[in-house]
Amino acid sequence: MKENENMFTLAGVLFVITAIVALLLASVNQLTAQTIQENATKEQEAARMAVLQLAETFEDVPLQLTDDSLVQQVYAGYSGEELVGYCVSVTPNGFGGPISMMVGIRADGSIEAVKIVSMSETPGLGSKAQDPIFSGQFSGKKVTKPIQVIKSGEADQNEIIAVAGATVTSQAITNGVNAAISVVDDLQSGGTQ
Amino acid sequence: MSAIKELTKGIVKENPTFVQLLGMCPTLAVTTSVANGLGMGLSATAVLVASNVVISLLRRFIPNKIRIASYIVVIAGFVSMIEMLLKAYLPEISKSLGLFIPLIVVNCIILARAEAFASKNTVGKSALDGLGMGLGFTMALTLISTIREVLGNGTFLGFSILGKSFQPATMLILPPGAFIILGLLIGLINLIVARKGGKAE
Repeated sequence: MKENENMFTLAGVLFVITAIVALLLASVNQLTAQTIQENATKEQEAARMAVLQLAETFEDVPLQLTDDSLVQQVYAGYSGEELVGYCVSVTPNGFGGPISMMVGIRADGSIEAVKIVSMSETPGLGSKAQDPIFSGQFSGKKVTKPIQVIKSGEADQNEIIAVAGATVTSQAITNGVNAAISVVDDLQSGGTQ
Repeated sequence: MSAIKELTKGIVKENPTFVQLLGMCPTLAVTTSVANGLGMGLSATAVLVASNVVISLLRRFIPNKIRIASYIVVIAGFVSMIEMLLKAYLPEISKSLGLFIPLIVVNCIILARAEAFASKNTVGKSALDGLGMGLGFTMALTLISTIREVLGNGTFLGFSILGKSFQPATMLILPPGAFIILGLLIGLINLIVARKGGKAE
Protein backbone atom coordinates (compact mmCIF):
# COMPACT_ATOMS: atom_id res chain seq x y z
CA MET A 1 0.00 0.00 0.00
CA LYS A 2 1.41 3.35 -0.99
CA GLU A 3 2.51 5.85 1.68
CA ASN A 4 1.64 9.19 0.10
CA GLU A 5 -1.98 8.41 -0.64
CA ASN A 6 -3.35 11.78 -1.41
CA MET A 7 -7.02 12.64 -1.44
CA PHE A 8 -7.20 12.34 -5.22
CA THR A 9 -5.94 8.77 -5.34
CA LEU A 10 -8.37 7.75 -2.63
CA ALA A 11 -11.30 9.51 -4.27
CA GLY A 12 -10.28 8.24 -7.68
CA VAL A 13 -10.12 4.58 -6.67
CA LEU A 14 -13.45 4.77 -4.84
CA PHE A 15 -14.97 6.48 -7.87
CA VAL A 16 -13.78 3.77 -10.24
CA ILE A 17 -15.03 0.97 -8.01
CA THR A 18 -18.43 2.58 -7.46
CA ALA A 19 -18.78 3.41 -11.14
CA ILE A 20 -18.18 -0.19 -12.17
CA VAL A 21 -20.55 -1.56 -9.53
CA ALA A 22 -23.19 0.97 -10.59
CA LEU A 23 -22.81 -0.14 -14.19
CA LEU A 24 -23.24 -3.80 -13.24
CA LEU A 25 -26.29 -3.00 -11.13
CA ALA A 26 -27.88 -1.06 -13.96
CA SER A 27 -27.34 -4.02 -16.29
CA VAL A 28 -28.88 -6.55 -13.93
CA ASN A 29 -31.77 -4.15 -13.33
CA GLN A 30 -32.29 -3.82 -17.07
CA LEU A 31 -32.32 -7.59 -17.33
CA THR A 32 -34.76 -8.28 -14.51
CA ALA A 33 -37.05 -5.26 -14.17
CA GLN A 34 -39.67 -6.49 -16.58
CA THR A 35 -39.83 -9.99 -15.10
CA ILE A 36 -40.18 -8.55 -11.61
CA GLN A 37 -43.03 -6.33 -12.75
CA GLU A 38 -44.72 -9.26 -14.48
CA ASN A 39 -44.41 -11.37 -11.35
CA ALA A 40 -46.09 -8.68 -9.28
CA THR A 41 -48.92 -8.31 -11.80
CA LYS A 42 -49.40 -12.09 -12.01
CA GLU A 43 -49.56 -12.29 -8.23
CA GLN A 44 -52.29 -9.65 -8.07
CA GLU A 45 -54.21 -11.35 -10.92
CA ALA A 46 -53.98 -14.71 -9.17
CA ALA A 47 -55.20 -13.19 -5.91
CA ARG A 48 -58.18 -11.61 -7.68
CA MET A 49 -59.11 -14.87 -9.37
CA ALA A 50 -58.77 -16.73 -6.08
CA VAL A 51 -61.24 -14.56 -4.20
CA LEU A 52 -63.88 -14.13 -6.90
CA GLN A 53 -63.89 -17.40 -8.77
CA LEU A 54 -66.73 -16.80 -11.19
CA ALA A 55 -65.26 -13.59 -12.55
CA GLU A 56 -63.44 -13.71 -15.87
CA THR A 57 -62.44 -10.11 -16.40
CA PHE A 58 -61.62 -7.33 -13.97
CA GLU A 59 -62.01 -3.61 -14.30
CA ASP A 60 -60.36 -1.05 -12.09
CA VAL A 61 -62.90 1.08 -10.24
CA PRO A 62 -61.64 4.65 -9.70
CA LEU A 63 -62.24 5.83 -6.15
CA GLN A 64 -61.89 8.86 -3.94
CA LEU A 65 -60.23 7.55 -0.79
CA THR A 66 -59.04 9.30 2.35
CA ASP A 67 -55.33 9.12 3.18
CA ASP A 68 -55.79 6.80 6.13
CA SER A 69 -58.02 4.38 4.26
CA LEU A 70 -56.87 0.75 4.34
CA VAL A 71 -58.19 0.25 0.82
CA GLN A 72 -55.65 0.33 -2.04
CA GLN A 73 -57.71 -0.57 -5.08
CA VAL A 74 -61.09 -1.96 -6.04
CA TYR A 75 -61.67 -4.13 -9.10
CA ALA A 76 -65.10 -5.01 -10.39
CA GLY A 77 -65.24 -8.62 -11.59
CA TYR A 78 -67.40 -9.51 -14.59
CA SER A 79 -68.44 -12.75 -16.20
CA GLY A 80 -69.33 -11.54 -19.65
CA GLU A 81 -71.59 -8.56 -19.06
CA GLU A 82 -72.74 -9.60 -15.63
CA LEU A 83 -71.24 -8.11 -12.48
CA VAL A 84 -70.01 -10.99 -10.32
CA GLY A 85 -68.68 -8.89 -7.49
CA TYR A 86 -65.72 -6.84 -6.34
CA CYS A 87 -62.10 -7.56 -5.41
CA VAL A 88 -60.76 -5.12 -2.87
CA SER A 89 -57.05 -4.85 -2.19
CA VAL A 90 -56.49 -3.71 1.41
CA THR A 91 -53.37 -3.24 3.52
CA PRO A 92 -54.10 -3.14 7.26
CA ASN A 93 -51.24 -2.83 9.74
CA GLY A 94 -50.41 -6.13 11.32
CA PHE A 95 -48.08 -6.99 14.18
CA GLY A 96 -44.95 -7.05 12.05
CA GLY A 97 -45.85 -4.55 9.34
CA PRO A 98 -48.51 -4.05 6.65
CA ILE A 99 -50.52 -7.08 5.58
CA SER A 100 -51.40 -7.08 1.91
CA MET A 101 -54.71 -8.85 1.32
CA MET A 102 -57.41 -9.32 -1.29
CA VAL A 103 -61.07 -9.55 -0.28
CA GLY A 104 -63.64 -10.91 -2.73
CA ILE A 105 -67.18 -9.63 -2.21
CA ARG A 106 -70.03 -10.90 -4.35
CA ALA A 107 -72.60 -8.64 -5.95
CA ASP A 108 -75.12 -9.66 -3.27
CA GLY A 109 -72.82 -8.24 -0.57
CA SER A 110 -71.61 -11.52 0.88
CA ILE A 111 -67.90 -12.24 1.30
CA GLU A 112 -66.64 -14.89 -1.08
CA ALA A 113 -63.08 -15.25 0.19
CA VAL A 114 -60.15 -13.55 1.84
CA LYS A 115 -56.64 -14.10 0.55
CA ILE A 116 -53.43 -12.93 2.22
CA VAL A 117 -51.03 -11.82 -0.52
CA SER A 118 -48.12 -10.96 1.74
CA MET A 119 -47.48 -10.54 5.43
CA SER A 120 -44.59 -10.46 7.82
CA GLU A 121 -46.30 -11.73 10.94
CA THR A 122 -44.69 -13.91 13.59
CA PRO A 123 -44.02 -17.36 12.21
CA GLY A 124 -46.00 -20.01 14.05
CA LEU A 125 -48.40 -17.45 15.49
CA GLY A 126 -49.63 -14.57 13.33
CA SER A 127 -48.59 -16.45 10.20
CA LYS A 128 -51.24 -19.04 11.04
CA ALA A 129 -53.81 -16.48 9.97
CA GLN A 130 -53.11 -17.61 6.43
CA ASP A 131 -54.47 -21.09 7.20
CA PRO A 132 -58.00 -21.73 5.94
CA ILE A 133 -59.05 -22.48 9.53
CA PHE A 134 -58.81 -18.77 10.22
CA SER A 135 -59.19 -17.03 6.85
CA GLY A 136 -62.00 -19.36 5.82
CA GLN A 137 -64.19 -18.00 8.63
CA PHE A 138 -65.01 -14.95 6.52
CA SER A 139 -66.31 -16.88 3.53
CA GLY A 140 -70.03 -16.71 3.09
CA LYS A 141 -70.61 -14.00 5.69
CA LYS A 142 -73.00 -11.23 4.86
CA VAL A 143 -72.93 -8.51 7.49
CA THR A 144 -74.45 -5.09 8.09
CA LYS A 145 -72.14 -4.06 10.93
CA PRO A 146 -68.33 -4.43 11.18
CA ILE A 147 -67.19 -7.96 12.03
CA GLN A 148 -65.91 -8.39 15.60
CA VAL A 149 -63.02 -10.56 16.77
CA ILE A 150 -63.60 -12.87 19.72
CA LYS A 151 -60.96 -15.02 21.38
CA SER A 152 -62.96 -18.18 22.02
CA GLY A 153 -66.40 -19.68 22.13
CA GLU A 154 -69.05 -19.83 19.47
CA ALA A 155 -68.84 -17.12 16.82
CA ASP A 156 -72.14 -15.79 15.56
CA GLN A 157 -72.72 -14.35 12.10
CA ASN A 158 -71.04 -11.06 13.01
CA GLU A 159 -67.98 -12.53 14.72
CA ILE A 160 -64.84 -14.50 13.96
CA ILE A 161 -62.48 -16.31 16.31
CA ALA A 162 -58.92 -15.02 16.53
CA VAL A 163 -55.82 -17.17 15.99
CA ALA A 164 -54.70 -18.32 19.44
CA GLY A 165 -51.94 -15.99 20.65
CA ALA A 166 -52.19 -13.71 17.62
CA THR A 167 -54.94 -11.23 18.43
CA VAL A 168 -53.23 -8.26 16.77
CA THR A 169 -52.84 -10.10 13.48
CA SER A 170 -56.41 -11.40 13.64
CA GLN A 171 -57.78 -7.93 14.38
CA ALA A 172 -55.75 -6.37 11.58
CA ILE A 173 -57.08 -8.83 9.02
CA THR A 174 -60.61 -8.29 10.28
CA ASN A 175 -60.14 -4.52 9.97
CA GLY A 176 -59.07 -5.08 6.38
CA VAL A 177 -62.17 -7.15 5.66
CA ASN A 178 -64.42 -4.55 7.28
CA ALA A 179 -62.82 -1.77 5.24
CA ALA A 180 -63.44 -3.79 2.06
CA ILE A 181 -67.08 -4.40 2.96
CA SER A 182 -67.53 -0.73 3.75
CA VAL A 183 -66.11 0.51 0.46
CA VAL A 184 -68.18 -1.96 -1.59
CA ASP A 185 -71.27 -0.89 0.37
CA ASP A 186 -70.52 2.73 -0.53
CA LEU A 187 -70.01 1.82 -4.18
CA GLN A 188 -73.23 -0.08 -4.45
CA SER A 189 -75.23 2.70 -2.89
CA GLY A 190 -73.58 5.08 -5.36
CA GLY A 191 -71.61 6.92 -2.68
CA THR A 192 -67.86 6.94 -3.39
CA GLN A 193 -67.99 7.98 -7.04
CA MET B 1 -2.46 -24.37 3.80
CA SER B 2 -3.39 -26.74 1.05
CA ALA B 3 -6.32 -25.93 -1.19
CA ILE B 4 -8.59 -28.54 0.37
CA LYS B 5 -7.89 -27.23 3.88
CA GLU B 6 -8.91 -23.72 2.77
CA LEU B 7 -12.25 -25.16 1.75
CA THR B 8 -12.91 -27.41 4.73
CA LYS B 9 -11.78 -25.15 7.53
CA GLY B 10 -14.99 -23.15 7.28
CA ILE B 11 -17.14 -26.21 7.84
CA VAL B 12 -16.17 -27.23 11.36
CA LYS B 13 -12.87 -25.93 12.75
CA GLU B 14 -13.52 -22.29 11.84
CA ASN B 15 -17.27 -22.48 11.35
CA PRO B 16 -18.46 -18.87 11.07
CA THR B 17 -21.54 -19.43 13.22
CA PHE B 18 -20.46 -21.85 15.93
CA VAL B 19 -16.78 -21.02 16.29
CA GLN B 20 -16.24 -17.51 14.95
CA LEU B 21 -19.65 -16.31 16.17
CA LEU B 22 -20.19 -14.16 13.10
CA GLY B 23 -23.51 -13.29 11.44
CA MET B 24 -25.54 -13.94 14.60
CA CYS B 25 -28.36 -11.58 13.64
CA PRO B 26 -29.56 -13.30 10.46
CA THR B 27 -28.85 -16.67 12.08
CA LEU B 28 -31.30 -15.97 14.88
CA ALA B 29 -33.92 -14.37 12.70
CA VAL B 30 -33.99 -16.52 9.60
CA THR B 31 -33.81 -20.02 11.10
CA THR B 32 -37.55 -20.31 11.74
CA SER B 33 -37.88 -22.80 8.91
CA VAL B 34 -35.50 -25.08 7.01
CA ALA B 35 -36.47 -23.53 3.68
CA ASN B 36 -35.55 -20.06 4.93
CA GLY B 37 -32.31 -21.26 6.49
CA LEU B 38 -31.20 -23.02 3.31
CA GLY B 39 -32.24 -20.14 1.09
CA MET B 40 -30.41 -17.60 3.17
CA GLY B 41 -27.31 -19.78 3.53
CA LEU B 42 -27.00 -20.39 -0.20
CA SER B 43 -27.62 -16.74 -1.09
CA ALA B 44 -25.02 -15.60 1.44
CA THR B 45 -22.58 -18.19 0.07
CA ALA B 46 -23.03 -16.84 -3.45
CA VAL B 47 -22.31 -13.30 -2.28
CA LEU B 48 -19.39 -14.46 -0.15
CA VAL B 49 -17.63 -16.29 -3.00
CA ALA B 50 -18.26 -13.45 -5.47
CA SER B 51 -17.07 -10.74 -3.11
CA ASN B 52 -14.02 -12.73 -1.96
CA VAL B 53 -12.97 -13.23 -5.58
CA VAL B 54 -13.42 -9.58 -6.57
CA ILE B 55 -11.75 -8.21 -3.45
CA SER B 56 -8.84 -10.58 -3.89
CA LEU B 57 -8.50 -9.44 -7.51
CA LEU B 58 -8.46 -5.81 -6.39
CA ARG B 59 -6.29 -6.29 -3.33
CA ARG B 60 -3.24 -4.47 -4.71
CA PHE B 61 -5.36 -1.72 -6.19
CA ILE B 62 -7.31 -0.57 -3.14
CA PRO B 63 -5.49 1.87 -0.85
CA ASN B 64 -5.51 0.96 2.82
CA LYS B 65 -7.45 4.01 3.98
CA ILE B 66 -10.53 3.29 1.90
CA ARG B 67 -10.52 -0.47 2.01
CA ILE B 68 -13.62 -0.93 4.21
CA ALA B 69 -15.62 1.50 2.09
CA SER B 70 -14.55 -0.32 -1.08
CA TYR B 71 -15.43 -3.74 0.34
CA ILE B 72 -18.88 -2.52 1.35
CA VAL B 73 -19.54 -1.15 -2.14
CA VAL B 74 -18.57 -4.46 -3.72
CA ILE B 75 -20.57 -6.54 -1.22
CA ALA B 76 -23.65 -4.31 -1.46
CA GLY B 77 -23.42 -4.46 -5.25
CA PHE B 78 -23.49 -8.24 -5.28
CA VAL B 79 -26.31 -8.42 -2.73
CA SER B 80 -28.42 -6.02 -4.78
CA MET B 81 -27.81 -8.13 -7.87
CA ILE B 82 -28.78 -11.33 -6.05
CA GLU B 83 -31.90 -9.61 -4.71
CA MET B 84 -33.01 -8.59 -8.20
CA LEU B 85 -32.27 -12.03 -9.62
CA LEU B 86 -34.22 -13.74 -6.82
CA LYS B 87 -37.19 -11.40 -7.21
CA ALA B 88 -37.30 -12.10 -10.92
CA TYR B 89 -36.60 -15.82 -11.11
CA LEU B 90 -37.34 -17.26 -7.64
CA PRO B 91 -40.11 -14.97 -6.34
CA GLU B 92 -41.38 -17.46 -3.72
CA ILE B 93 -38.00 -17.66 -1.97
CA SER B 94 -37.59 -13.92 -2.32
CA LYS B 95 -40.89 -13.30 -0.56
CA SER B 96 -40.09 -15.82 2.13
CA LEU B 97 -36.69 -14.33 2.96
CA GLY B 98 -38.01 -10.81 2.57
CA LEU B 99 -35.96 -8.21 4.39
CA PHE B 100 -33.12 -10.61 5.14
CA ILE B 101 -31.77 -10.63 1.61
CA PRO B 102 -30.69 -6.99 1.68
CA LEU B 103 -29.43 -7.59 5.22
CA ILE B 104 -26.79 -9.95 3.80
CA VAL B 105 -24.81 -6.77 3.15
CA VAL B 106 -24.20 -6.33 6.87
CA ASN B 107 -23.65 -10.02 7.54
CA CYS B 108 -20.35 -9.87 9.40
CA ILE B 109 -19.10 -13.07 7.82
CA ILE B 110 -18.68 -11.45 4.43
CA LEU B 111 -16.88 -8.35 5.63
CA ALA B 112 -14.77 -10.42 8.05
CA ARG B 113 -13.54 -12.79 5.33
CA ALA B 114 -12.86 -9.86 3.01
CA GLU B 115 -10.75 -8.14 5.63
CA ALA B 116 -9.09 -11.18 7.18
CA PHE B 117 -8.50 -13.30 4.10
CA ALA B 118 -9.45 -12.10 0.63
CA SER B 119 -7.47 -8.87 0.93
CA LYS B 120 -4.31 -10.86 1.69
CA ASN B 121 -4.56 -14.00 -0.40
CA THR B 122 -4.75 -15.18 -3.99
CA VAL B 123 -7.99 -15.39 -5.92
CA GLY B 124 -8.09 -19.18 -5.96
CA LYS B 125 -7.63 -19.51 -2.21
CA SER B 126 -10.07 -16.69 -1.54
CA ALA B 127 -12.73 -18.38 -3.63
CA LEU B 128 -12.26 -21.63 -1.71
CA ASP B 129 -12.29 -19.80 1.61
CA GLY B 130 -15.54 -18.08 0.63
CA LEU B 131 -17.10 -21.36 -0.47
CA GLY B 132 -16.03 -23.18 2.69
CA MET B 133 -17.24 -20.44 5.02
CA GLY B 134 -20.47 -20.15 3.08
CA LEU B 135 -21.10 -23.88 3.26
CA GLY B 136 -20.29 -23.90 6.98
CA PHE B 137 -22.76 -21.05 7.47
CA THR B 138 -25.41 -22.85 5.42
CA MET B 139 -24.94 -26.05 7.38
CA ALA B 140 -25.19 -24.18 10.67
CA LEU B 141 -28.37 -22.43 9.55
CA THR B 142 -29.88 -25.69 8.32
CA LEU B 143 -29.06 -27.46 11.58
CA ILE B 144 -30.60 -24.72 13.72
CA SER B 145 -33.64 -24.39 11.43
CA THR B 146 -34.25 -28.12 11.50
CA ILE B 147 -34.36 -28.19 15.30
CA ARG B 148 -36.53 -25.08 15.49
CA GLU B 149 -38.94 -26.10 12.76
CA VAL B 150 -39.35 -29.77 13.77
CA LEU B 151 -39.73 -29.15 17.49
CA GLY B 152 -41.33 -25.73 17.27
CA ASN B 153 -43.77 -26.32 14.43
CA GLY B 154 -43.91 -30.07 13.86
CA THR B 155 -42.88 -29.69 10.23
CA PHE B 156 -39.77 -30.10 8.09
CA LEU B 157 -39.58 -28.10 4.88
CA GLY B 158 -43.27 -27.41 5.37
CA PHE B 159 -44.26 -31.08 5.58
CA SER B 160 -45.92 -32.13 8.81
CA ILE B 161 -43.80 -34.96 10.11
CA LEU B 162 -44.73 -35.41 13.74
CA GLY B 163 -48.43 -35.94 13.31
CA LYS B 164 -51.47 -34.08 14.56
CA SER B 165 -51.18 -34.98 18.23
CA PHE B 166 -47.78 -33.33 18.55
CA GLN B 167 -47.95 -30.13 20.56
CA PRO B 168 -45.18 -27.94 19.14
CA ALA B 169 -42.93 -26.00 21.50
CA THR B 170 -43.87 -22.68 19.96
CA MET B 171 -41.23 -20.82 21.94
CA LEU B 172 -38.59 -22.38 19.70
CA ILE B 173 -39.99 -20.53 16.71
CA LEU B 174 -39.75 -17.22 18.57
CA PRO B 175 -36.60 -15.22 19.38
CA PRO B 176 -35.97 -16.71 22.86
CA GLY B 177 -35.94 -20.18 21.30
CA ALA B 178 -33.41 -19.01 18.75
CA PHE B 179 -30.99 -17.80 21.41
CA ILE B 180 -31.39 -20.96 23.48
CA ILE B 181 -30.89 -23.41 20.61
CA LEU B 182 -27.95 -21.43 19.24
CA GLY B 183 -26.30 -21.26 22.65
CA LEU B 184 -26.72 -24.97 23.28
CA LEU B 185 -25.33 -25.84 19.84
CA ILE B 186 -22.31 -23.55 20.25
CA GLY B 187 -21.55 -25.20 23.59
CA LEU B 188 -22.00 -28.70 22.16
CA ILE B 189 -19.90 -28.16 19.05
CA ASN B 190 -17.07 -26.47 20.91
CA LEU B 191 -17.12 -29.34 23.41
CA ILE B 192 -16.77 -31.87 20.59
CA VAL B 193 -13.99 -29.91 18.90
CA ALA B 194 -12.12 -29.51 22.20
CA ARG B 195 -12.40 -33.22 22.98
CA LYS B 196 -11.16 -34.17 19.52
CA GLY B 197 -8.28 -31.72 19.84
CA GLY B 198 -7.34 -33.18 23.23
CA LYS B 199 -7.33 -36.77 21.92
CA ALA B 200 -5.23 -35.89 18.85
CA GLU B 201 -2.50 -34.63 21.11
